Amino acid sequence: MAFIELAGVTKTYTKGEVEVVPLRDVTLAIEAHEFFVLLGPSGSGKTTLLNLIAGIDRPQQGTLRVGGVELGKLSSGRLSDWRAENLGYVFQSANLVPVLTAYENVELPLGLFPLSRAERHRRVLLALEAVGLSDRAAHLPRQLSGGQEQRVAIARAIVADPPLLVCDEPTGNLDHESAEVVLALLDRLNQERKKTIVMVTHDPRAAAHGTRRMVLDKGRFRPEEPTR
Amino acid sequence: MRLVLLTSRNLKRRPLRTLLTVLGVASAMLLFVLVESLSAGLDAALSGSAAARTLIVYRQNRYCPQTSFLPERYQRLIADVPGVLSVLPVKVFLSNCRASLDIVVFQGAPPAELLKTRELELVSGDLARFEDQSDGALVGREFATRRRLAPGDRFRFGGIDVNVAGVFRSSEPVEEGMVLTHLEYLQRVGPVDRLGTVTQFEVKIDDPAHGQDIAREIDARLRTAEEPTDTRPKLAFLETATRDLREILRFGRWLALACVAVVLALVANTVLMSVQERVKEFGVFRTLGYRPSRVVALVLGEALLLGASGATLGLAAALVIIRTQHLSIGSEGVPVSFLLCGAVVARGALAALGAALLAAALPAWNAGRREIVASLRSA
Ligand SMILES: Nc1ncnc2c1ncn2[C@@H]1O[C@H](COP(=O)(O)OP(=O)(O)OP(=O)(O)O)[C@@H](O)[C@H]1O
Ligand SMILES: [Mg+2]
Repeated sequence: MAFIELAGVTKTYTKGEVEVVPLRDVTLAIEAHEFFVLLGPSGSGKTTLLNLIAGIDRPQQGTLRVGGVELGKLSSGRLSDWRAENLGYVFQSANLVPVLTAYENVELPLGLFPLSRAERHRRVLLALEAVGLSDRAAHLPRQLSGGQEQRVAIARAIVADPPLLVCDEPTGNLDHESAEVVLALLDRLNQERKKTIVMVTHDPRAAAHGTRRMVLDKGRFRPEEPTR
Repeated sequence: MRLVLLTSRNLKRRPLRTLLTVLGVASAMLLFVLVESLSAGLDAALSGSAAARTLIVYRQNRYCPQTSFLPERYQRLIADVPGVLSVLPVKVFLSNCRASLDIVVFQGAPPAELLKTRELELVSGDLARFEDQSDGALVGREFATRRRLAPGDRFRFGGIDVNVAGVFRSSEPVEEGMVLTHLEYLQRVGPVDRLGTVTQFEVKIDDPAHGQDIAREIDARLRTAEEPTDTRPKLAFLETATRDLREILRFGRWLALACVAVVLALVANTVLMSVQERVKEFGVFRTLGYRPSRVVALVLGEALLLGASGATLGLAAALVIIRTQHLSIGSEGVPVSFLLCGAVVARGALAALGAALLAAALPAWNAGRREIVASLRSA
């Protein structure tokens, strides 16, 4: 059984009279420890798919299993707990809490677990070290560069040690150099820590980091056209 | 977990907005607490334990102590009425008869009888000195604190100049706001032609159940005398004397209610803005695994913190004003002080926190149940 399995998944948004169907009967399997890259034109449903896998949205049809758990069967509260334990989400913008320091931002997910203060401290420092920002722990987000903010966001995503990382254009707001740092970080998390990563990107260079690439178009998959 | 850290940091996000809200809540709570303290003070004034066993004989159709003159010799006539245990002639002198702030009430009575009748307990000073000195005075504890008086001090007011011989505690709160002197001393301060008169008689009776009968008998016996009397149980007397104040306080209740409404509106406005600004952030929290209830708690916590800070500030301000401004509202010779007691503090805290919670309930509920994806999409 694959780590992530979507079978016949359809997602519809209704806005008044207008019905948008970003995902139509999608079937997909992603193995554990893959670095899966999702490509596709704007509006093709990439973020929608990512949100379903992340358990922050629910499909109208089809089944969705992650790590053997059928997400559709979980109550909203249980799904929250599932996310706390299994998911790290990296957004296009860092989405840090502006009034908390880098350290406190990284610590946020740990508040959901019964951990001692010392253990929380240890884990936050480890996560900050992993993203190379140990010396910025006391900085507020506005005192950090965009790339550093995104690395803090990655530290926040991995601090509770979830098996799955989903990243929605994580380098979309970054310059080339910062993007490379973030991508190298994701590579390491995939290879050394065996995280399963699902990443959406528009950037071919970023896509090259993936172990597998798929293109979503008008709610359906097609394989990537060979680049020449 | 770090709910407190998060909420307090969030309030620092817009420091000016937070400050203004807290100041607004504090002002409303100050007013609330002042009204409630005065109300508590009035309740205390009417709650004396000896009130039930005491009748007050007053000049008929007179309300202000300044206009009630009864011949001192009535004392023996009243003492003869069956059921009467003792009669204390009392001369009252006050700074102002109408309701006013910072009232000063003097009561003069024969010292020995005074000490026998009233349940006074000396806090400091010397009873013998009071009895020996013709200008000696005993000062109620509350008045002494308000005016910073101690034994040995002189206290001057109008034509009165007395020697503080002691400070006392009383079983009847009203008396703690008064100055007690010798009857003769106060009589000499008044007009010459009123030398042999007193303002009222305090009559102790054997059985409170017979109060009405005894009062009627006293008035009957003095109906044909030169100054007819009106005798009532002390509680009824106090209630009449403070009726203006109670009218004002009934209006004050509405003020207090309006204060709670102000707290509600202020906190609701601030929380609403704060939640609207953070829709996306709440989406991020939910993505991290925060349950809706935690988001609700976060918003409610913020409102509670606003309410609590405002209430604390308002209470502190009320305390400072009551302590430093010597406030005591007198009405027809009954001094009523602002009583900032535990019950008032509790009611203030409850009102502020309750209003804050109520104000935040709807925004909190909405923030908690908003769809994550929709939250994340918002700017
Ligand atoms: N909450 C929503 N309500 C209505 N329509 C929505 C909602 N979310 C997404 N859509 C629509 O679904 C479609 C797919 O959106 P999605 O965000 O998944 O695209 P995307 O592939 O991530 O695009 P981009 O590359 O621009 O981020 C779009 O047409 C979008 O307008
Ligand atoms: Mg997208």
